[in-house]
Amino acid sequence: MPIEIKDLEYTYSQGTPFEHKALKGVNLTIPTGKVIAIIGQTGSGKSTLVQHLNALIKPTKGSIDICGFHITPDTKLKDVKILRKKVGLVFQFPEYQLFEETIEKDIAFGPKNFGVEPEEIQQRIQEILPLVGLDASYLQRSPFELSGGQKRRVAIAGILVQDPEILVLDEPAAGLDPQSAQEMMSLFMRLNRQANKTIILVSHDMEHVLRYCDEVIVMKDGKVKTQMDVHEFFKYPDILREIDINPPGIVQLKEMLQQNGFEIDPDSYSLDELAQSLKGQVASHE
Amino acid sequence: MNNIALGRYLPLNTIINKMDPRSKILILLVMMITVFLPAGFIGYVPILIFIATALYFSKLKLTYALRALKPMIWMFIFLLVINVLVMRTGTLLISWGWFKVYSDAFSQTAYIIIRLTLMIILCTVLTATTKPLDLTLGIEKLLKPFEKIGLPAHVIAMMISIALRFIPTLIDETNRIMNAQASRGVDLENGTMTEKIRAVLSLIVPLFVSAFDRADQLADAMEARGYDPSATRTRYKVLKMTNVDYFAMAFALVVFATDLVLCWI
Repeated sequence: MPIEIKDLEYTYSQGTPFEHKALKGVNLTIPTGKVIAIIGQTGSGKSTLVQHLNALIKPTKGSIDICGFHITPDTKLKDVKILRKKVGLVFQFPEYQLFEETIEKDIAFGPKNFGVEPEEIQQRIQEILPLVGLDASYLQRSPFELSGGQKRRVAIAGILVQDPEILVLDEPAAGLDPQSAQEMMSLFMRLNRQANKTIILVSHDMEHVLRYCDEVIVMKDGKVKTQMDVHEFFKYPDILREIDINPPGIVQLKEMLQQNGFEIDPDSYSLDELAQSLKGQVASHE
Repeated sequence: MNNIALGRYLPLNTIINKMDPRSKILILLVMMITVFLPAGFIGYVPILIFIATALYFSKLKLTYALRALKPMIWMFIFLLVINVLVMRTGTLLISWGWFKVYSDAFSQTAYIIIRLTLMIILCTVLTATTKPLDLTLGIEKLLKPFEKIGLPAHVIAMMISIALRFIPTLIDETNRIMNAQASRGVDLENGTMTEKIRAVLSLIVPLFVSAFDRADQLADAMEARGYDPSATRTRYKVLKMTNVDYFAMAFALVVFATDLVLCWI
């Protein structure tokens, strides 16, 4: 069942001199089972939007239908607690949410809060650990001894163990080295392909968006600017420039080739495909 | 988290905003002592005149200054209850068997409430009209003479400015961690006592960890730029007292002297 967002508005500190309208009427239908990227400049309302998805903040106006829940300005927190289990939200730099003495306890913290049985939690931890690239020897260690990248794996494991249907990730690869970032992204891809989880990704990294996502939602000034299939989207790099984001390298290369008079198949997004397009157009190598 | 009235600087362009922070701090000290002088209720009249003048010139609304009192109402009620139960001096007002209420219970509570209210208004006027950095600069300058007896004036001032600088950062951080833990099923409003304690723990531990992290990084950054607390340095902003400062200090001293006299008669 898709996520339906209707006329969503959100105002911070309403009724004070610090009032700030972050969302100004957002209408979206987000399909499930896909990998969706939400992009936009800082302050465009991305973070505010994703915090609505698990009812961390309630709309000032409008409504959200997600996982069988209908959230309106009058929704009570008590009624939506289970929604937070179904929609796992991983914040930027999630390593800062670790607090338990051992990694095992920290990973178990979420499901325990949602009332999952201890045996089941144990079983899930065993399943999740290899997924995030950790092994059982870590379980009894303190999360504070780990390196930054490992802490992030533990924090993400703490959300995955809740077995969410929808996984919302705010810049999950920020600050990681390229190798770990890639591992992290392929983990999410596996979750999407194998466990059929919906992945919503807030990202500034266009290479990741092009490589891993199915659909793109562009936010600008508290509104949705466009929502498109990812390959369709990167045919119009000017939308990206409008929000001051550089297109991925391959798209830039394509543009340059086109400007120099080469005819390029608009659907080619890999070097091999580009080379294929160019074959025959290059008369000779000098 | 957004209703911290006490201590927020309001960038208004009034003569009180332009006053020297040193004189404002000194005046606050004098007025604080005055508030606690046992001069009876009549002693509050000169203080109130002083406060009215300060509020008038600083263009602050009385309601703004009093906003900080709102959460203290329960404390005041609690104080009154305690005083009614234990106070055994003054005239007897009510007597039901063992339950006796004396007039001092009310007058003592009134004293405490008036004193706290006056203090809060005075402090609000100071912090609302003085930029935090000016305030610490003022403190540093005022503590300077005590350096001779080993008081690290500059270090104290630097600590205060760093603490002030990080208040908004820590509030942001708290909100972020609260949201992150809420996403993991923490519910700060509902649940049993043990659950609530666990919930608060899940908030405090990460907050401390990141605060220590930040402190380490800040210390490194300061050292990397050659920060030396004992170095002599010049100031971009040079403090200078004007006639307004002298007049205000004289006013405060007059109020103090009046109350001192009222103590003896």
